[in-house]
Amino acid sequence: MVSGAIALAFLPLLLTLIIRYRYYFVLFYRAVLVRIWKDCITGLSREERAYQYVLTHSTPGDPDSILDSFDYWCSKVEYISNIGPKKGKILDRMLMEQSPLTVLELGAHCGYSTIRIARALPLGGRLYSIEMDQTNAAIAEKIIRLAGFDDDTVELIVNPSDEVIPRLRSDYNLERVDFVFMDHWKKCYLPDLQMLEECGLLGKGSVILADNVLFPGAPKFLRYIRKSGLYEWKIHRATLEYSKGIRDGMAELVFQGIK
Amino acid sequence: MPRDSLIASDNDADITLEFEGGEEGGHKERRHREKRRDGSKDRRKRGNGRRRQGSRSVERENEEERVGEREKERKRRVKKDQEAKKRDKEEGDRAQTRSEKTAKAKKNIKNEKRRRSEKGEAGERTEKGKKKVQSAKKEKSVNHGTKDKTHEEKKKKRKKVLETSSEQETSEEDSEDKEDSEDEEVKPESLSPEELEKLKEAVDDKKKLIQSLRGKPWPMKKKLVTLRESQEFLEKYEGALGKGKGRKLYAYKKWMKFQRDFENFKTACIPWEMKIKEIESHFGSSVASYFIFLRWMYGINMILFGLTFGLVMVPEALMGRPYGSIPRKTVPRAEEASAMDFAVLWDFGGYAQYSVLFYGFYSNQRAIGWLKFRMPLSYFLVGVGTVAYSYMVVIRTMARNANESGVGDDNSFNFSWKMFTSWDYLIGNPETADNKFASITTSFKEAILEEQESRKDDNIHLTRFLRVLANFLVLCCLAGSGYLIYFVVRRSQKFALDGLENHTWWERNEVNMVMSLLGMFCPMLFDVISTLENYHPRVALQWQLGRIFALFLGNLYTFIIALMDEINVKRDEEKIVKFNITMWEASLYNGTVSENFTVPPITIHPADVPRGPCWETMVGQEFVRLIISDTMTTYITLLIGDFLRAVLVRFLNHCWCWDLEAGFPSYSEFDVSGNVLGLIFNQGMIWMGAFYAPCLPALNVLRLHVSMYLQCWAVMCCNVPQERVFKASGSNNFYMAMLLVILFLSTLPAIYTIVTIPPSFDCGPFSGKNRMFDVIHETLESDFPAWFSKVFSYASNPGLVLPFILLMV
Repeated sequence: MVSGAIALAFLPLLLTLIIRYRYYFVLFYRAVLVRIWKDCITGLSREERAYQYVLTHSTPGDPDSILDSFDYWCSKVEYISNIGPKKGKILDRMLMEQSPLTVLELGAHCGYSTIRIARALPLGGRLYSIEMDQTNAAIAEKIIRLAGFDDDTVELIVNPSDEVIPRLRSDYNLERVDFVFMDHWKKCYLPDLQMLEECGLLGKGSVILADNVLFPGAPKFLRYIRKSGLYEWKIHRATLEYSKGIRDGMAELVFQGIK
Repeated sequence: MPRDSLIASDNDADITLEFEGGEEGGHKERRHREKRRDGSKDRRKRGNGRRRQGSRSVERENEEERVGEREKERKRRVKKDQEAKKRDKEEGDRAQTRSEKTAKAKKNIKNEKRRRSEKGEAGERTEKGKKKVQSAKKEKSVNHGTKDKTHEEKKKKRKKVLETSSEQETSEEDSEDKEDSEDEEVKPESLSPEELEKLKEAVDDKKKLIQSLRGKPWPMKKKLVTLRESQEFLEKYEGALGKGKGRKLYAYKKWMKFQRDFENFKTACIPWEMKIKEIESHFGSSVASYFIFLRWMYGINMILFGLTFGLVMVPEALMGRPYGSIPRKTVPRAEEASAMDFAVLWDFGGYAQYSVLFYGFYSNQRAIGWLKFRMPLSYFLVGVGTVAYSYMVVIRTMARNANESGVGDDNSFNFSWKMFTSWDYLIGNPETADNKFASITTSFKEAILEEQESRKDDNIHLTRFLRVLANFLVLCCLAGSGYLIYFVVRRSQKFALDGLENHTWWERNEVNMVMSLLGMFCPMLFDVISTLENYHPRVALQWQLGRIFALFLGNLYTFIIALMDEINVKRDEEKIVKFNITMWEASLYNGTVSENFTVPPITIHPADVPRGPCWETMVGQEFVRLIISDTMTTYITLLIGDFLRAVLVRFLNHCWCWDLEAGFPSYSEFDVSGNVLGLIFNQGMIWMGAFYAPCLPALNVLRLHVSMYLQCWAVMCCNVPQERVFKASGSNNFYMAMLLVILFLSTLPAIYTIVTIPPSFDCGPFSGKNRMFDVIHETLESDFPAWFSKVFSYASNPGLVLPFILLMV
């Protein structure tokens, strides 16, 4: 029906779409296709493969080398959505500035961000890391121990965040959290934040850092912090981890309390 | 209350002092008057003095008679004054103390002070209330003058400043005061001198308060309230100081006020001004510049439409021969059955083709109707006139813009430019401001990075390579699109030879479709490619404009070349038809002759008469179709690409696995360059085709009107501000330059066809002539006296014209 010439006229559109969204195609390839392919070949999960690589390519007890090998694996071999080196620098800087004593991490995944935070903690600081998935948590545990952090510094809690947060006060004797790092399910950002508010764990000056608020994105979370007025907030603009062209951001919230 | 009584006594003391001061002031004033009688500037002061004397004498005469009735009134007034004073004092103790302190000094310099204060007040008022833009500088100087009011040493100098600076304002204000005095219910002559002085004193105090308000350490709200109250008081009582400069000033003041109102009215009358301002505040000036351009274009098209409609279409429709009277005004017999079908009308065939909308409908009568309207001449002159008018307007606008737009070079003082000029002050929307803020910071970061890199290692080769690559890609794209259009046009000629009825709608409209689609998608591709080049957005916009310009131009000229081919085909066809017609007429004649000698020649219905193909109408139709399809594509893109996308993003965002708004599809940005070029090329097509289809300006006006509303709505409802908001004050002349080029390029083919190709023999106003411009010659010969045509023929001698043109240039 439609002639070939008209179809050809759509070629520029096609090219435009391909060029403009090339990073997304690359991401799709690396994060989905390669993963499925490797899963079929090796029979291991992605996290296990990453652990194997890190175990064989890094120095035990040296967090930096572990992070480096993680970065290398994620950018060159396969893809895992860790916080990545660039955004990690922002995280490091904020931790240095705040030097918080009690840090809560939601979503440890394979322990990359846990090591990053633990590395930057001040003396006597303690990190509570919450991971929902059993297998991931096992790997994260191994990696954290590999990096040389013991139970006093890093406490890994294997449970969904919405169950852990209400019990933090009673089970772990937490009065106040100085720093919260969110990198778990994007849909849980908002309910978890509200739960933290309800439990009164946030004090004036508590900092909350939420990763990936632009891509994959947490629109409800952003809308809430815009409206609530409890926070002073800003978005650090950066790109998605291990990818150049996809814009992403980290939301930095400073709890102000009710004025 | 003790406080009140204290204040009252204060007032009394002040008033007595002031009374004496007033007398002395009068003397002084007289002296002043004599001293500077020649100066027209102190007209006001003189008026004051005269007024006061006059009122005083009148009061003295009437004093005895009216004591009783005045007593009440006086009490009321004094009370009022004192109340006002109390308010005043309560509001600002400082003002009171100052007034006490300066009471003595006031005695001596009262008049000057009043003059000054009045002027100061005038300045203050104009500045607060009226916002007269033109007198901004003057106000400034007035402010400077009023600021250091308390220093008496400076008063002379300051007075000079005031007098020189705010003459106009004072006179205006003055007249306002006079008017107030006339409005007042309490006549000044009904007051005793003391009361008058009291009033003066109160008024002076108010004025002083207003002057010193600026420097007071009060909250803004209090200042505003005080200001308003004092001004009300002044307006009410100032007139009591004197009366009746009279009708003239009153009228003058009214006139000024009327002028101000008229200015406001004029601003309100500018169409779509508010819409554009709103858009400007949301999206920055670059988007607004498009809409301003659209509005300007609309104005031009209104005039073109007025010309063609009023001088060509309406006379022909009203006074020309009616439909069905001659063959060219009748639908041929073969087409009659389908002439009213919507599909045919939509393609501008059938009844639409045989109407005033197209060239072929016009008859070649020299004069039509009882007005003896010279139709062919009018047609020709309107065709020439529209183009000439367009040239004039575009060039004039360019000349006017050339003075205003001075964009300095962006390259030499990169950081200074960024630092001091990157903010767009017309942004009023917080989100846009956010974006702008972010873009400024990122551009700063980028610029710093760039600078560092350029210092570290010279990466200019990569940039150069990328730019060359980008241009290469763009060229490929242009060539590809050109070839595609060429191919399609050739194919459509083949279809046309086969007969259009055998083909589908897609095939028939292939050329228009492909042109529209390419015009729509190629700019997107260019945009993507241009990210390689890493130019400043303004430069990038110009590159982008240039590329789209090339694309559109290529498309347009391919189209025109195809049209030329088609014209030649039609002309060949015409020759055959002409021959056939003579044969047919001969046979007809022979038939009648052979049958019967006495019977008058049989009448043939005009629909049955064979006729030529009329290439002019064909050209007109092509242009109209092109415009229609272009408009449709624009609107459909708007609805699908912007509106539907916005709707999807908005409502699917809740149940999607990533953030649609901030991430992948997002909302669309307003594409300034594409829209501007679309507009410009649309206009070019109008200029090109208007000669053969007088309905084109009307269609264009309609299109522009609709797109104004549609695009305003679409921008406000489905677009987000550009991420890199930038100012586009300088690009206006760029648009104009492009418009001029397009105007030139689009008049070329039109002129070429008019000059070289003889008009069709049986349709249009110039049928039967060898060339279209013969109509001028004909008019000169038959409608003007013989000597005129002689003079004209001498004057149009190339030997005379060429030196003249050279001299002009």
